[in-house]
Amino acid sequence: MPTEKLQSAIGAIHVRFGSHALVQATRLPAAQPWSTGLPAVDRLSGIGGLPRGRLSVLQGSLGAGKLSLALALLARASREHARTIVIDRPGVFDPWIPDRLGADLGALTVVRPGTPVVAGEAAVALARAGAGFGLLLEAPPEPALAALESAAARSGSLVVVVPDGDGERRALAHASSLTLQLEWLAPLLEGNLVAGARSLLRCVKNKLAAPGAEAELEVRYPLAPGLAAAEQPLEVARTTRTTRTAEEESWLDESAAG
Amino acid sequence: MAGRICCGLIPHLEVARRPELGGRPAVVGRTDGRVLAASPEAAAAGVQPGLTLRQAEALCPAAAIVDADPVATSRLADRIAIELTELAPAVEVRHDGRVWLDLAGLPLPAHALAEARRRLRALAGTEPRLGLAAGPFAASLAAARARPGRLLRVEDVRAFLGPLPVTELPGLDAEQLERLDLLGLRTLGAVAALGPRQLESQLGRAGRTAVLLARGEEPLPLTPWRPLLVTGARCQLEPPVEDREALLFVARRLCGDLAAELGLHGAGARKLRVRLGVEGGEPEDRESTVRHPLSSAAELFGLVSSWLREWQPAAPITEVSIELPELESAGRRQLRLWMGGDGSAEEVEAALERLQERHGREVALSIRRLLVASAIPRQRYRMEPA
Repeated sequence: MPTEKLQSAIGAIHVRFGSHALVQATRLPAAQPWSTGLPAVDRLSGIGGLPRGRLSVLQGSLGAGKLSLALALLARASREHARTIVIDRPGVFDPWIPDRLGADLGALTVVRPGTPVVAGEAAVALARAGAGFGLLLEAPPEPALAALESAAARSGSLVVVVPDGDGERRALAHASSLTLQLEWLAPLLEGNLVAGARSLLRCVKNKLAAPGAEAELEVRYPLAPGLAAAEQPLEVARTTRTTRTAEEESWLDESAAG
Repeated sequence: MAGRICCGLIPHLEVARRPELGGRPAVVGRTDGRVLAASPEAAAAGVQPGLTLRQAEALCPAAAIVDADPVATSRLADRIAIELTELAPAVEVRHDGRVWLDLAGLPLPAHALAEARRRLRALAGTEPRLGLAAGPFAASLAAARARPGRLLRVEDVRAFLGPLPVTELPGLDAEQLERLDLLGLRTLGAVAALGPRQLESQLGRAGRTAVLLARGEEPLPLTPWRPLLVTGARCQLEPPVEDREALLFVARRLCGDLAAELGLHGAGARKLRVRLGVEGGEPEDRESTVRHPLSSAAELFGLVSSWLREWQPAAPITEVSIELPELESAGRRQLRLWMGGDGSAEEVEAALERLQERHGREVALSIRRLLVASAIPRQRYRMEPA
């Protein structure tokens, strides 16, 4: 029977090259989650947080809050990791926002490469060296993506990309293990002041669990000095629009009950 | 103490460096399809170095067959040598698992022996067999006859060597051993009874050495391990080269050669110098000291290529020379594969430093708070080279 032949071949490979030469996919070590501290994001990921050693992508429409969400993650990561990196080729990173979110600036290094190629090289080198958390404010060039995936997988680095523009979207979408999309729904008003945005957070790709889950987020903008500042930039998810599995339904119930 | 040379016997370093094979039959294969080394379990089944892998598989079907990795093995040899050099002034380590220490002149040789045993056990994952004799040949034969973790001391060398078979003599091929057998010389005692010239007339230079070894006169001294202190590589260009891409191509090859040499010695470069010989003029050079040692081809070429890309030589290049005048152990820079969590700050800092060396200090910035409450964003923070 073919099954017996297959088992025989597997046995021969194990004897000849060791048991690690051929491993069932179900026995591969699962991606380790890094809890973001944001229940909505952790739940949408399906594993309880962003996957270590993988690429995660935050994308969305202008003003939906993807950069705010990324900076909130960065602030949390800087408190938990020895070294967090921002690769800021566009030159848009302002430390003020993560600082207001409680970031440990001493653990934060900003890399400002001159070209996309150098940005890709820097991302790969730092992921390979084991930087705990890397935030890329531009999609790395396509040739660097495979090396970045490999480097992150080897070191366990957590890489979050916030793509700017449509440049390398297709290759990045392929490399991403978890893609979260934000869509602007409505402004968040406090009196006459626009204090943030109400956005829809959707998991559009997930290599580790079922994609498709959604949640609503309130993304609060850090306000300028002198104005009333929000202490928390993000509110937890309040509703879930779609559910795909019994497990997700169960946490929906818990969420609704809460 | 009668002996001054101690020999420690551990498994072949290709086996010793794979703790996951401990207790299992395993065979290390060479690229030519023959056995390089066998674990004690496989050796007990009859697998010996030199057999074909098919023969080994037939003798021991349960054996795991793994490829040799000379670079990793050389690194282990260097680690052993570094550890043991702290105990004795002269140390020799061979890949087949034989390690010698010259204990002459040590105030506490017994202490050195005990510590050598402990360190070998830690490095090889198994108890070494130890032999102590006047020379390396007798010491290695004594070690082979000692029990694991014990020392066999040879007081009377000729009495010890006399009954041993001539197959223990190193450097004799099958034909020479057959000739000894035909001459009726089957033990070292019989060989020792001859004059060196008598056997030299039969076997050539190897015959003379064999007699001296059998007499315990130890004609083969230790070759002490020496750390690699400086290295370099150069390439002469004929005709002289003006094309920058060609120069980079040559530099990449030289960096690859140097990285291979560094890898063999487990070393990293603290200082790097590039010298370009120019046609009809004085050579031009550039030198840099790095905080974290460079050891891979990519790291070396990263720095060299950043210089070459902006170098404006006065004339066509006749020679490229890359020198590494200061080396140090790169063992601590071994990347931790399959690391589950956060990386070490040191490795990340080294990566940032290399980025700065290649692309300028402004490429990696740290953040310093200034007037955080200011309404003018530029006044709030300062970014300065990390």
